Amino acid sequence: MRKEFIQLRRDRRTLAMIIAIPLLFLLVFGYAASFDVKHVKVQLAGRDSPAVRAALSRAGSAFDVRPAVAADAAASRRDLRAGAVTVAIVIGSGGAVQSVLVDGSNLLVAQTALRNIAALQSTRTGAPLPVTVLYNPTLRSADFMVPGLVGLIMAFIGIVITSLGIVRERERGTLEQLMVTPITRVELMLGKLIPYLMIAFLDLAIIVGLGLGLFDVPLRGSLALLLALAMLFLISTLGIGLLISTVSQNQQQAMQLAVLIMLPQVLLSGWIFPLASIPIGVRWLSYIFPLTYFLPISRGIFLKGLGIPSLWVPTVVLVGMAVAIISLAATRVSKQLA
Amino acid sequence: MPEIAARGLVKRLRSTQALRGIDLEVPAGALWGLVGADGAGKTTLLRCLAGLYRPDAGTATPGAAGQSQIGFAPQGFHLYGDLTVLENMAFFGGLYGLDAATIATRVDELLAFAGLGAHRYRIAGKLSGGMQQKLVLACALVHRPSILLLDEPTTGVDPVSRREFWRLVEQLHAGGATILLASAYLDEIERCEQVAFLHEGRVIAAGAPDELRRGCATLEDAFLAAM
Repeated sequence: MRKEFIQLRRDRRTLAMIIAIPLLFLLVFGYAASFDVKHVKVQLAGRDSPAVRAALSRAGSAFDVRPAVAADAAASRRDLRAGAVTVAIVIGSGGAVQSVLVDGSNLLVAQTALRNIAALQSTRTGAPLPVTVLYNPTLRSADFMVPGLVGLIMAFIGIVITSLGIVRERERGTLEQLMVTPITRVELMLGKLIPYLMIAFLDLAIIVGLGLGLFDVPLRGSLALLLALAMLFLISTLGIGLLISTVSQNQQQAMQLAVLIMLPQVLLSGWIFPLASIPIGVRWLSYIFPLTYFLPISRGIFLKGLGIPSLWVPTVVLVGMAVAIISLAATRVSKQLA
Repeated sequence: MPEIAARGLVKRLRSTQALRGIDLEVPAGALWGLVGADGAGKTTLLRCLAGLYRPDAGTATPGAAGQSQIGFAPQGFHLYGDLTVLENMAFFGGLYGLDAATIATRVDELLAFAGLGAHRYRIAGKLSGGMQQKLVLACALVHRPSILLLDEPTTGVDPVSRREFWRLVEQLHAGGATILLASAYLDEIERCEQVAFLHEGRVIAAGAPDELRRGCATLEDAFLAAM
């Protein structure tokens, strides 16, 4: 037992992980990960309605009513498609609610919106509130989960599997043999990345195929665009894996670091818990992970049929991340041991 | 013009001063041996010469710029234990830019040379220690290097395999290769034309085994006396 403690004390990185991982679990699960959606973005369309605003504020704090009013239902549909708002309430000429449009692409946010929307019934007399859920009308879990899973599985392959690449060579002593050959460090890096890129792409094809064939998830956008942007996402995740590989001394450390990076990514990227429900003090962490930017791309292409005009922001961020991460990894991959 | 040369070579590894100004010149076609206790700097010197370590001061030739001329066999078995003999050799041939036909020819030649022809489809990790060392040498030779840097290639190998390994080294030497070999075995280092004694990062004596042994019963006595 004493020997274990002595070894642990000398293995500073493992010791740090043992302390850091439970703290991270506590912080993320206890504080950040929450099914309670506190901000559902609502837009009024056609005209403003103080009565509707009052009813929404009575419905609870979940509704975050945008001050701007969309010109009409068509304008609101555009905003819903772009993800700028989650709920659009179309106000008729008499100031009564004519219809309610809900973006169903994010399951938890849509469910919260639908639960609270009933309060609007008080603004209408007689007929029930006409609510239309767009993009995932029956709020199927598969339609929400599968596009997200595409990103998650690729992140797993990219980070966890690749992180073992170079460190495994170092541990086996084969890195020394590779370094003494005339291959350049870029060739060494590409030799490590390309096989995993191909495997991840095969996985992507299987997941998309199963999603469409087995789970009947609709693919409303371009498959080519999905594959192109998935490739971009993969490059950044593979780069993270490679970076982990270059800073780790052994496979155990690489795996610990990979878990340390994967876990918050799973919980904070919006894959399950909506970003809006994550407290702002922790949410900044969400924005450093590539998965956070790929999920709106994947769900947007699958469920909303979005193209580049609507997805350029996360695309540009992913391009920046891919360039930065790969550049950093390339500087870390050295052709010399010391 | 020496093919292998270290001039004023200094290398520090973390808190250890591994090399403290090494001067060594191995002429083309020579077979030189390096002897030293563990930690004397043999591996560090070979790694600097192979371009794996960047010298802190001085120069190491061929170094990183001459890697295509070097065949390097590090200490121990550090090939891919989950690949076959053939796959390991083909992989390293590819890294040196050889085409498939050339690799196939070289592999046949080298497997015959190393006596591994019957084992080409065996998983490298399942070979005996002696066979593994021969495979390491065969992989280091796949691009026909003119310089061979061998780091304790026979450590942990049985006496029969050691003798076979040395037969291969001597054949390579006869073929004109320039060889620098580090070893902890003083009996086998006597097979070299010239030997350098390393101690605490310095060359403390160098010369032909007979010269070094002068006044001592064995090379081991000469080495201990020089320390």
